[in-house]
Amino acid sequence: MSNKVIEVTNLTKQFKSYKKKPGIKGSIQSFFNREYTTKKAVHDFNLEINKGEIIGLLGPNGAGKTTLMKMFTGIIVPSAGELTINGHRPWERKKDFKKKIALVMGQKSQLWWDIPAMDSFLLLQKFYELSDQEFKTRLDYMAELLGVVDLLHVHVRKLSLGERMKMELMASLLHNPDVIFLDEPTIGLDLVAQENIREFVLDFHKKNGTTIIITSHYMADVQALCKRLVLIFDGTKAYDGPLEKFEKILGNEKTVSFSFSEEIGGCDFIDKYDAKWNECRNHVDIRVPEEELREVSKKILDLYPVIEFNTEKMPIERVMKTLMTNPEVLRQQRENLSS
Amino acid sequence: MKTYLLKWWQTIRISWSKYTAYRLNFFLQVVGPFLVFFFIKYNLWSSIYGEDTGQLIRGYNFDEMMQYHVWTLVISLLGQGYAAMNLSEDIRLGRISSYLIYPFEFWEFHTAGFLSFQILQIFVSSVTLGLAIFFGFLDLPSTMTLLHGFSFTFFMGFFWFTMQYFTGLLAFWLEETWIMRVLLSIVVSFLSGYIFPLELYPEWLVSGLKFTPFPYMSYFPAKIFMGVETNFMMGYAVLAFWMAVFAFVNHLIWKKGMRLYTAAGM
Ligand SMILES: Nc1ncnc2c1ncn2[C@@H]1O[C@H](COP(=O)(O)OP(=O)(O)OP(=O)(O)O)[C@@H](O)[C@H]1O
Ligand SMILES: [Mg+2]
Repeated sequence: MSNKVIEVTNLTKQFKSYKKKPGIKGSIQSFFNREYTTKKAVHDFNLEINKGEIIGLLGPNGAGKTTLMKMFTGIIVPSAGELTINGHRPWERKKDFKKKIALVMGQKSQLWWDIPAMDSFLLLQKFYELSDQEFKTRLDYMAELLGVVDLLHVHVRKLSLGERMKMELMASLLHNPDVIFLDEPTIGLDLVAQENIREFVLDFHKKNGTTIIITSHYMADVQALCKRLVLIFDGTKAYDGPLEKFEKILGNEKTVSFSFSEEIGGCDFIDKYDAKWNECRNHVDIRVPEEELREVSKKILDLYPVIEFNTEKMPIERVMKTLMTNPEVLRQQRENLSS
Repeated sequence: MKTYLLKWWQTIRISWSKYTAYRLNFFLQVVGPFLVFFFIKYNLWSSIYGEDTGQLIRGYNFDEMMQYHVWTLVISLLGQGYAAMNLSEDIRLGRISSYLIYPFEFWEFHTAGFLSFQILQIFVSSVTLGLAIFFGFLDLPSTMTLLHGFSFTFFMGFFWFTMQYFTGLLAFWLEETWIMRVLLSIVVSFLSGYIFPLELYPEWLVSGLKFTPFPYMSYFPAKIFMGVETNFMMGYAVLAFWMAVFAFVNHLIWKKGMRLYTAAGM
């Protein structure tokens, strides 16, 4: 029995869309004589995911993350390539498959707007054929953990974005899916709510050993949840590996910042480490090779009036930013590795 | 089987609470068509008949003409609802994505919604019928006639739904389907006998329509309610045939549409 939950080979999706000029005339014109443009949203994508993994799927806007999620969940049909999830081809949309997966989209509500969340949950209970016992236990547990017990009977359209997101999450996890797809589940949420959701997902994962694929533009999500990252650029896979390795992709230097109680004049020792000073020269960011970190920090602490210092909290954020502004770095990186 | 029926039942309940969520809407649904009927049809026909309400126009005196039109109103309320209207919206706005994920199909969801709507329309049409009787437009027919009329109209509602479903599905290709739906409803209004009883049309047209679904959508059930038409089988058979045709076509369109569906907007 293979351990692979998701197997993707050469998956490709191209969108065919036609240009439409504005107005009725444009409509008629485009009806008879359509100019098509094809756009490769996902191109020759390969991926294998084991049971119980949490994968962070990252990439800039328009990279193809949502398109991948749609193919994974069977919403759209791939143009080419193979894709199996739990042994099913998603686009066949078998009931057995649907009962095993869940999709949460931060950008799009899946709950019914005109009725309270609880009514939606009850409907889903029937859809997924959950016993009253199962349903009640899971619902109570999740509502408690997310702190939304009092909101279950409020109309969904009256909920705040964060509150609604929690409901969406509950709605999609009620049936205890084997594989969960989370497409930007924390988008637009405040910091506390984001953390709430992260902890909830982690807890759910720990309890059920669920396989989770998550996309997010917030590196804090990735840092907290994922051991493995998959990077997608322009529809193709650009990186696939552990988070720690990704952090060091630009070198194993650590960024350390120091604040001083007074202005520091010219200082060759500090400047050696790619120093970036602020205007008043009482704060500096330096980049130090990991193995020299202790030594250099100690020296600076000894020699200068340091009032505060810290190492970078989320190196992954810096790496992402660098890669997004110059994607060729990655290509060089890969060429270096293979040579 | 039981769990499957429970899915339907719960969906019907949910749709019900959606339809009745806005009380004012509900109220307008009853009063609106009645007022429109009263101002347009009543005034139109009273000016046509003028003083001489006893004269016969194609076999109808004024009172009978009014009875006929009250029945077509009741029939349109019960049998020609707009439950399938959300369908094209769902497709255009990419909302069907959610249904593709649930283990309950899109058509099942919408058909359950339609059933729920039908239950609501039983009330709406009964209230309208009550009003019409209260204002002296007609006398209550026998229970048996009522039963026949309501069953036929209810059955016709299913046909109407499959046809509406068809126009809704065209949203996979057309950006706007409402123009088509308006055209369709105008055609239906004329050919079904909703605007004028079919006796007012030339003979060749009426006999040509016999095997189309149109006359069975207003004229035929109105005649059942008026106690004139007693050969129901023809109506049931023609509608059943067309219902099967549309259901089959819908199935094909859906399959084709799903291959094209890009879930834009989601
Ligand atoms: N339904 C569609 N029709 C045509 N083109 C589409 C469609 N959906 C997506 N695209 C195109 O495919 C590409 C990938 O889009 P996708 O939504 O997958 O990006 P994404 O990685 O999710 O981006 P974001 O971070 O902004 O959510 C984009 O260039 C987009 O314009
Ligand atoms: Mg996206």
